[in-house]
Amino acid sequence: MESTKFSLLTKEEVDRKWWEIGDFFRRNSLWMLMYCTGCCAIELPPAMTSAYDMERLGMGPMATPRQADVLLVTGYLSLKTLRRLIYTYEQMSEPKYVVGIGSCTINGGIYHDSHAVINQLDQYIPVDVYVAGCMPNTEAVMNGFVDLMRLIKTKKANGWKKYHKNNAWYKKNQIDSLGEVYVKDEFHE
Amino acid sequence: MLKMNSMNNIEYVSSLVENKFKVNKKEIISKYQISFEVEKAEVHRLLTLLKLEGWIQLSYLSAIDWINDNEYELIYIVMNWEKAVHVQIRTRISRENPSMDSILPIFPGCKYYEREAHEFFGIKFPGNPDYAKQLILEGWDDIPPLRKDFDPRAYSDAHFSKREYSETFVNLNKEESKQGTREKRKERIKRVRKGGRK
Repeated sequence: MESTKFSLLTKEEVDRKWWEIGDFFRRNSLWMLMYCTGCCAIELPPAMTSAYDMERLGMGPMATPRQADVLLVTGYLSLKTLRRLIYTYEQMSEPKYVVGIGSCTINGGIYHDSHAVINQLDQYIPVDVYVAGCMPNTEAVMNGFVDLMRLIKTKKANGWKKYHKNNAWYKKNQIDSLGEVYVKDEFHE
Repeated sequence: MLKMNSMNNIEYVSSLVENKFKVNKKEIISKYQISFEVEKAEVHRLLTLLKLEGWIQLSYLSAIDWINDNEYELIYIVMNWEKAVHVQIRTRISRENPSMDSILPIFPGCKYYEREAHEFFGIKFPGNPDYAKQLILEGWDDIPPLRKDFDPRAYSDAHFSKREYSETFVNLNKEESKQGTREKRKERIKRVRKGGRK
């Protein structure tokens, strides 16, 4: 006999509930993959160690892209690093988030007219949170992480969905700037 | 023999070089550094002599683009572990179709420096089998980027998209300002610290 008080949930509603539970645990145990490309990486040691103690937010470093949730891009990206970064980003398991630290990831910063350094990171991979500054101080970096947690809570950190949806656009931008996204490595061929 | 007095080392190396080679320009940069400018054809003999005398390490090899003289200047820096003097050997080569014989038989470590100089200045190094391979730039499609007639801004404008700022950039999604949320967060921390009292 069917209950008159409770109706069975549809699949979408069940999925939504599981996603909420998943997001709760995910945002309280973010594992970072630190792609320390530039000088802003120097802000991470104080954020991780006892001065600001990132671990109290549940964040910790992770060695491999397959197990990490957050990709930190700290600083300028040359064309050569961008190829490796795209490889790394595509290897990460979903859901995945990107935090761009420093003004170089936003508009090129002081390297805006260099032949080797790209200007806008979000043309190539979707970025959820930017931390502006050259370089941002450690409080700003920590604020950026708290902002990311808030975005996950309010379901606005959906850069990885955008990467699926606009994949052709991202791929076209990557090809336009890089020529090809294939990594050549003479020492491992 | 180990010579402790570094000024003696400078005198030793300048007499060594000037007795056997025609030095166009000599400069004592500090008591640990000296620079000689010689003809292009004499570089290999001079480097061989210095290597025999103990300057066994090639510290650096690079180039300078003197575009007004229409010349490249090549700089070889060698170092001695017993006499504390860095010796710079400079030579000028023409900017049209620049080419310099490789010093690979003398200093095998020059292999990657020569590849770098070829990549950034377009100087050819016959004798080095790998000089034309790419090293740092991948798939470069323009003139070598450290030449003075290369315009990095034009290249950057052509290849990388620039962020355009408009008036509506601030608060695009009608969200409350992050500054406001931060202030609230700070207030809350302050309140919690005091145990909830004002």
